[in-house]
Amino acid sequence: MIRHSQLLRTVAAGGASLVLTLSLAACGGSADSADGDSGTIHVLVYGDATNKVEKKLVDTFNKTSKVKAVLDTIPGADYQSKLQTIISGKQAPDVFFNWGGGSIKPYVDAGLLMPLDDFIAKDPRLESDFLPSVFNTAVVDGKPYGVPMRGTQPVLLFSNKKVLNDAGVTAPRTWDELLTAVKTLKAKGITPIALGGGDKWPTQMWFQYLYDRVAGPELFEQAVKGDKNAWASADSKKALGRLKELIDAGAFGTNYDSVKFTDGGSPALLATGKAAFELMGSWEYSTLQDAYPDFVKSDLGYGAFPAVEGGKGDPANVAGNTNNFYSVLKNTKHPEAVAEFLKLMYSDEFVQAQLSVGNLPTTANTPKFLDKAANPEYSKYQYDLVKKAPSFQLSWDQAFPPAATTTIHQAVQQFFNGQMDTDAFIAAMQSLPAA
Amino acid sequence: MTTATAPAVDSEETTRNRRRPARPGTGAGRPGFAWAAPAAVFFGLFALVPLLLVVVLSFTRWNGLGSPEFAGLENWNKLLDDPVMVKSLWLSLVLTVLGVLVQTPLSILLGVWAAGHQRNRAVLSAIYFVPLLLSITAVSVLWRALLDPNFGIPSQATWLFGDGNLFGVQTSALGVLVLVSTWQFTPLHTLLYQGATRAIPQVLYQAAQIDGAGRVRQFFHITLPQLRNTVVTSTILMVVGGLTTFDTVLILTQGGPGTDTTNSAYYMYQKAFKSFDFGMASAIALLLVLVASLVSLVMVRLSGYDKMRSTMEGV
Repeated sequence: MIRHSQLLRTVAAGGASLVLTLSLAACGGSADSADGDSGTIHVLVYGDATNKVEKKLVDTFNKTSKVKAVLDTIPGADYQSKLQTIISGKQAPDVFFNWGGGSIKPYVDAGLLMPLDDFIAKDPRLESDFLPSVFNTAVVDGKPYGVPMRGTQPVLLFSNKKVLNDAGVTAPRTWDELLTAVKTLKAKGITPIALGGGDKWPTQMWFQYLYDRVAGPELFEQAVKGDKNAWASADSKKALGRLKELIDAGAFGTNYDSVKFTDGGSPALLATGKAAFELMGSWEYSTLQDAYPDFVKSDLGYGAFPAVEGGKGDPANVAGNTNNFYSVLKNTKHPEAVAEFLKLMYSDEFVQAQLSVGNLPTTANTPKFLDKAANPEYSKYQYDLVKKAPSFQLSWDQAFPPAATTTIHQAVQQFFNGQMDTDAFIAAMQSLPAA
Repeated sequence: MTTATAPAVDSEETTRNRRRPARPGTGAGRPGFAWAAPAAVFFGLFALVPLLLVVVLSFTRWNGLGSPEFAGLENWNKLLDDPVMVKSLWLSLVLTVLGVLVQTPLSILLGVWAAGHQRNRAVLSAIYFVPLLLSITAVSVLWRALLDPNFGIPSQATWLFGDGNLFGVQTSALGVLVLVSTWQFTPLHTLLYQGATRAIPQVLYQAAQIDGAGRVRQFFHITLPQLRNTVVTSTILMVVGGLTTFDTVLILTQGGPGTDTTNSAYYMYQKAFKSFDFGMASAIALLLVLVASLVSLVMVRLSGYDKMRSTMEGV
């Protein structure tokens, strides 16, 4: 008798504690999905400083809409991983932030996304109010899947004007001028070009531009579709050759792989005059503005990537992040509400809010407000650059699907540090999955 | 002697029996299956079931979207031909061995010292313990900043660091990884050794002193042999930690330069959450489980941990 009751008690206690643990574990998941069908749409964005603009627009939307929008954020570095794990499940958002191109291709292939043709048919401004080179980044297999929702981020060649003046160097417009500048600066004991090689994607920016300038945008267009011969072509080898020339000239110093952009290392080199140039996305400006406002006011220079003599690419072409996009899940329960929400992305309020945080929207009405931007001159320069660009090359690691990112990043790093030669680099790129 | 101790045991047993009457049968109050059930169910649910799922996943193609597709031995064939996989196993072993070799002597010395009664010992021990209380992520970010080639320690000590390209060269990048784990985890092992040293009976040292043994001799002939079991415990902890090193790699080197610090745990993460190749990642995870099990099996056999003889015989 005693034995029996004791067994019972033990089992009961054990069972109770187990149930408790399980219910605790389950809590994390159930809270989100519970309100999914009661007249709300979930908007998922990359968590960073621009979230206050997104919050503002959601508030504006909720003032008039019966279906309420809820803004969810995932902190930067984890965004893509987290998105991939929730997008096909019950916690999937209705609308989500992405980079267009390869970043949404796998979702399109899996039939998860809604083509926006119907939305655009009802409201043509969802397409016509955006710069075409930007809008086209989110066109997959001939159908539009995204509406631009932040600022454009072309990659520019930034410089420290004071260092250039002291060394008697002018901002280079051609590749040869850049090589000469590198030699002059190196002789003065200055690292010619700051590079956050530890992050790897800053290294990749040099490849993007050289391939564009030497071979034109067509080579990469072919390559990303899976044409392996593109990588092995003469133009590809020529682009790598020019880049090798720059590396071997000591343009980046020797310790760039220990430097990062993300922890402020490489911008600090530029701002403190230890380096003369840095190739970086337009966000470099706000990064430096936060850390070195005096430097930005007096000595920060910026310009387009130099032309390469004899190259096929138009020197007016740009590379970088065309914009970020909102894409829509096919099984959203409130497509009408989502369409209304997307219309805010070309509103005056949106443009003004983006400009106030230093982003440069790519809508038709943007020029109206450029005078009120945080830095009108810089914003106008970028807007014209992007508007006039015959081609806007999306960053390689975003043009390819996420599965390719690691290989690209390793290859660019190993080409720079000499672990890979031209042939090995070409072989690595040929192994990438097609977008 | 024996006659003197035997009644003592007897009397103890009788008093215990008097207080708590003996229950009939053998199982009464003894741990049976019912007692183990909560833990067993917990272990099954959170260890065995996931492990089985990983086994299944390793034979599939899955990018996290839709349902996994059966792929037969595709992942395993690719994995065994993959030079990065072999390299990553080597790197895991190198990191583990270096970790053990650096941390063990350090923590034995610190632990034995901390077991004494010197002035300021308590204060200093408390300070040495601090790194263990910090998050490994915070510690890694901190060291990354300290070792910045242009603005950190290397820029002020060029005679030692040269151009400071610590993260751009394999040997120094591995060195940094070992350094940071050592800095963080030595306190834990110091604590183990401190406790074990305190447990060594003083009579041993007193006898040695009478025999004229100096401090060094006492250390090598009493302290170290008495710490044998603790060395085994501590080493096993280090090996387990070393083989699964991940956080420091993620934050300090991201597996770079190239794949030069991509250990198996990081390679698995890369395949799963960067390339979204969950089938391949599961195969790597399983391989890591197999290798780790093999290593611990060998260690248990070699060290005699399975028998764990008392070091107190004759005391």
